[in-house]
Amino acid sequence: MKKAVVYLNQFFGQIGGEEVADHPPEIREEKVGAAMLYDQLLDGEVTHTVICGDNYMGSNKDKAIDTILDFLEDVEFDIFFAGPAFQAGRYGIACGEIGKAVKEKFNVPVISSMNIENPGVEIFKKDIYIFPGGHSAAKMKNDVTKMVEFGNKILNNEELLPAEEEGYYKRGIRHQYFLKDKTPAAERAVEMLLKKINGEDFESELPIPELDRVDIAPAVEDLSDAKIALVTSGGIVPVDNPDKIQSASATRWGKYDISGMEKLGNREDGAFKTIHAGYDPAAADADPNVVVPVDAMRAYEKEGKIGKLHNYFYSTVGTGTTQGEAARMGREIAQDLKEAEVQAVILTST
Amino acid sequence: MKLELGNFYVKDINFGEKTAFKDEILSINKEEALEVVYKDEHITEADIKIVRPGDMVRLVPVKEAIEPRCRVDGGALFSGVTGKLIQAGDGKTNCLKDMSVLVVGKHWGGFQDGLIDMGGEGAKYTYFSSLKNVVLVADTDEEFEKREQQKKNHALRWAGMRLAEYLGKTVKALEPEDKEEYSLEPVTKRAKEVTELPSVVIVMQPQSQMEELGYNDLNYGWDTNRMLPTFMHPNEILDGAVISGSFMPSSSKWSTYDFQNFPLIKRLYKEHGKTINFLGVIMSNLNVALEQKERSALFVAQMAKSLGADAAVVTEEGYGNPDADYIGCIVALEDAGIKTVGVSNEATGRDGGSQPLVTLDPKADALVSTGNVSELITLPPMETVIGELEALARDGLSGGWADDEILGSSVKEDGSIIMENNSMFCGDQIAGWSPKTMKEF
Repeated sequence: MKKAVVYLNQFFGQIGGEEVADHPPEIREEKVGAAMLYDQLLDGEVTHTVICGDNYMGSNKDKAIDTILDFLEDVEFDIFFAGPAFQAGRYGIACGEIGKAVKEKFNVPVISSMNIENPGVEIFKKDIYIFPGGHSAAKMKNDVTKMVEFGNKILNNEELLPAEEEGYYKRGIRHQYFLKDKTPAAERAVEMLLKKINGEDFESELPIPELDRVDIAPAVEDLSDAKIALVTSGGIVPVDNPDKIQSASATRWGKYDISGMEKLGNREDGAFKTIHAGYDPAAADADPNVVVPVDAMRAYEKEGKIGKLHNYFYSTVGTGTTQGEAARMGREIAQDLKEAEVQAVILTST
Repeated sequence: MKLELGNFYVKDINFGEKTAFKDEILSINKEEALEVVYKDEHITEADIKIVRPGDMVRLVPVKEAIEPRCRVDGGALFSGVTGKLIQAGDGKTNCLKDMSVLVVGKHWGGFQDGLIDMGGEGAKYTYFSSLKNVVLVADTDEEFEKREQQKKNHALRWAGMRLAEYLGKTVKALEPEDKEEYSLEPVTKRAKEVTELPSVVIVMQPQSQMEELGYNDLNYGWDTNRMLPTFMHPNEILDGAVISGSFMPSSSKWSTYDFQNFPLIKRLYKEHGKTINFLGVIMSNLNVALEQKERSALFVAQMAKSLGADAAVVTEEGYGNPDADYIGCIVALEDAGIKTVGVSNEATGRDGGSQPLVTLDPKADALVSTGNVSELITLPPMETVIGELEALARDGLSGGWADDEILGSSVKEDGSIIMENNSMFCGDQIAGWSPKTMKEF
């Protein structure tokens, strides 16, 4: 018999409401609360329920995940369900965090359900299967049914259909697919062409993601009077990486003081290095100024070509970083730059 | 220009005393056929085998596929390649259907070579498993490229063409079972009811990225790297004016068989005079340098505009770097007000998470996708291998590898394989056969 583990928050795990949202993780070798519903529908058995308070997960993420992964180390299971989280933001993110960690460590399918408004959808839909869910617990049965039906297909080794047919949120993961009716590409192309010519609706097989273009700002009129900042996605950080910026798929950025520096010291000096995992770090470690050109900007400063180099440079890692995260970090950095009255930025990529 | 393709449907192929087509059976005198192959002294070893759909046979490294045909009025099947230059696309050509000549290296493969499983679960990945095939498996003395990843495969490819011409001659004087007629009036001399329909061109981007001659597709024997986009009659393509080259991962390639039967061209012909006015082919190419890409896109858009095209189909023989030519050309056409559909494959990685094409543009809003080059495929051992299975792992085939820290070698001791779709022979069927698309999972 296939075995499942279910993750619930303090409320659906029947510990209590908001007042016990700090409840640390626990695992029970039984079906608690909503886990019973899963058990009824599943082609298998729910053997364990993991319960954790939403606030505990929010403020002690790493600890909570480590604890739960430890719990599961000795548990045999074939599939992991988290939620449904409905529109509850903290719960959704908790389901995503633990789901992603379980998938990475144990390589079992992880299925959750969240309302489209839940911020967990955008963050975690790439990592785990998330089905669209209702706003509130009134939709519990409906949401769990969708999750378990899909889980059963996986457990029974049935053919999994594309996201649009199975119903989970699209994840940006594209694979080739043999059309059931075998319509050849030439047929599809001419059909699409005729529709396009006739102004009818057609569906591209490769929808181009909508580009969120930002207008280029007007030119700085007098550079000799301007304060300029350096920003990079090339991962240059102090050697101890104090902000723990990730080497790929970054969600964090850092701001580092360069006042008084003629140029950036290198890794050997114990000053700066790159943590970017997407290019050969040798050149940037030997001379970080090739990515963040403090040396050249100081020269311009001396020549009077620019007014002043801003006292901080800003850094994150571009490789694998999602557009959503990049845009958020960009907004945050821009806010900081505006407050410091920086007029222009040189953004270096690698 | 009028092309009459006479079809002879081959029910079976066998070896016999005389090379002849009779009662829907193609008989081959093997000795005589091999003499044709050995006409090139660079062929050192050769054999001919016959494989049929469903046979538990794996072919690798496959270099080329050709439909055996014969020009009824005489002349080379591949103008400027296997004989003197003549006008292709005008006249009668007899074709042996439901079969092809496949060229397989006896030992050595390369980046551009592919694999075909005739039966079992691997058969669905190529078009050629649905045909009866005469397989030329041979070796050459082309020492200079024996251990090179990029091979011109000249002796083998030309031997394949000679063999296809030799087999095609069996139907020279016979009456075909049925005929396909392709003709277009000159662009400015068409009936009003035709010119009132939306005018459509197909823009073909054959593989031409190698600066060194000998690897690229040939147009009337001329290396497509050395040409600028030009206007062609679709009949020329269907009648052997263009032959396949020996560059680009196999699943993204157009074999010579693909050019001879180009489904996108045939499908547009079918609409001609009914829903569209099919103007013809703008034969472009694929380049490595940005300026070359931009120049070709300029030529294509200008030509399409001057011809009065309202709409276009653009199709690319390749992926990766040439995606820039593909998207660039689509954007240039859209900017010229020409409604455009693109047909190509994608490279989304083994996990499916990578950007599908090297460049993307919202103006490319109507794309047909024919497969993912990097899809991982595992297949069980086959009873028979024609060629050399080890080539998949050893010789730098685009979808094979000698060692991988997690996956090991592409070729396992028991003969089972793990490979990327990249090396499925013409597997993404970009010419228009592909029953595959791309979906979100």
